[in-house]
Amino acid sequence: MSEVTQTEITEMLEASGSSECSILLSTVKAVANWSRKNSIWPLPLGLSCCGIEFMATAASRYDMARFGMEVARFSPRQSDLLLVAGTLTYKMAQVMTRLYDQMAEPKWVISMGACASSGGMYRSYSVVQGIDEFIPVDFYISGCPPRPDSVLNVLMKLQDKITRDRSYELTVDSPDAPDALKVGEVAVLPGKRHGPPVALATDTERFVKQGPQKRMARGVKPREGR
Amino acid sequence: MDGVKQSCMVYTDEAPEGVSEAAQKALAPFSVKWSEHPVHGGWPGCLVERAQWAEAFAALKETGGFNMLVDHTAVDYPEREGERFTVLGLLMNLDTQERLMVRTRVPEDEAVATLTHLWASADWAERETYDMFGIPFAGHPDLTRIYMPQDFDGWPLRRDFPMQGHNRFRD
Repeated sequence: MSEVTQTEITEMLEASGSSECSILLSTVKAVANWSRKNSIWPLPLGLSCCGIEFMATAASRYDMARFGMEVARFSPRQSDLLLVAGTLTYKMAQVMTRLYDQMAEPKWVISMGACASSGGMYRSYSVVQGIDEFIPVDFYISGCPPRPDSVLNVLMKLQDKITRDRSYELTVDSPDAPDALKVGEVAVLPGKRHGPPVALATDTERFVKQGPQKRMARGVKPREGR
Repeated sequence: MDGVKQSCMVYTDEAPEGVSEAAQKALAPFSVKWSEHPVHGGWPGCLVERAQWAEAFAALKETGGFNMLVDHTAVDYPEREGERFTVLGLLMNLDTQERLMVRTRVPEDEAVATLTHLWASADWAERETYDMFGIPFAGHPDLTRIYMPQDFDGWPLRRDFPMQGHNRFRD
């Protein structure tokens, strides 16, 4: 972090043209993360009964608008948080990965309920055994379906996580930073939460590449048929 | 009867009680066997030849008074020799509340005639039967999978489909 000298503060005050101006010093990271965490726009992907419970979370009795998340958007291009609520089938998985690919960085994913997290009670040929077979997940919510309290709890945990996000840091010491960085300039490092950007691929080929590897990595062995 | 081991159905040449004369008259030109007992909550059933499947339904619609195709599905009897599947259509006469279940038998990989020219509701029902059992329907306008993804491999409602462990992304 570069230091701001007293002289520079004086210069900035004079430049503002007002003698009664005050200055609040902070970091870009803190300001950006504060702004991000209080304006999370979720994209609810309500696939079954968890979707109803999410509606209860958004409605007046629980009211997640208290945390800056009331603007549920049904366009992935305007959303920060993909909230997968319910049973995901392989047929719908194509839609989900497409939505995820269309969301702009930074983006977060919450897997709501037993079905989205693990397939739940549907150990079936048609149901995805956990959405993390296809997309990275930040938080899993247990329950069938989870109560709105649990959803709010996880949303606040997500806010804590965003507060600690380092993708927006002003780091002159970083080798990635530009050589000459003056006060007042901001170096924005590319977000690296999800690794290198993946190509927009929603076809079966990508499923074949990603699905079984992650599945096997979790140590789940296929059971033989009856 | 005639080689059927697992099927609980017993067939005779006489229609059971509750089958109207119009229905019997409509089916008179065809080779029909009637199930001895009305089964499945009062649905009298009969078995027709596969070659006469569509013609029998056409006669039942036109002269038998059955104006509604309630459902259309299939059952898999893997133990049965030769003709593995039973395809069935459930008919209803909305005026008299009469019901009738018409069956036929079909070997694997052989087609059954479509009913889409008689009832539009047969379209999706036959697609579902095709999707779940792999029974092709000859003459269907758009015989593609309806529930499963188009590139899905397997017929889920066949008895030899594994109950667990089927994952098309697994090697």
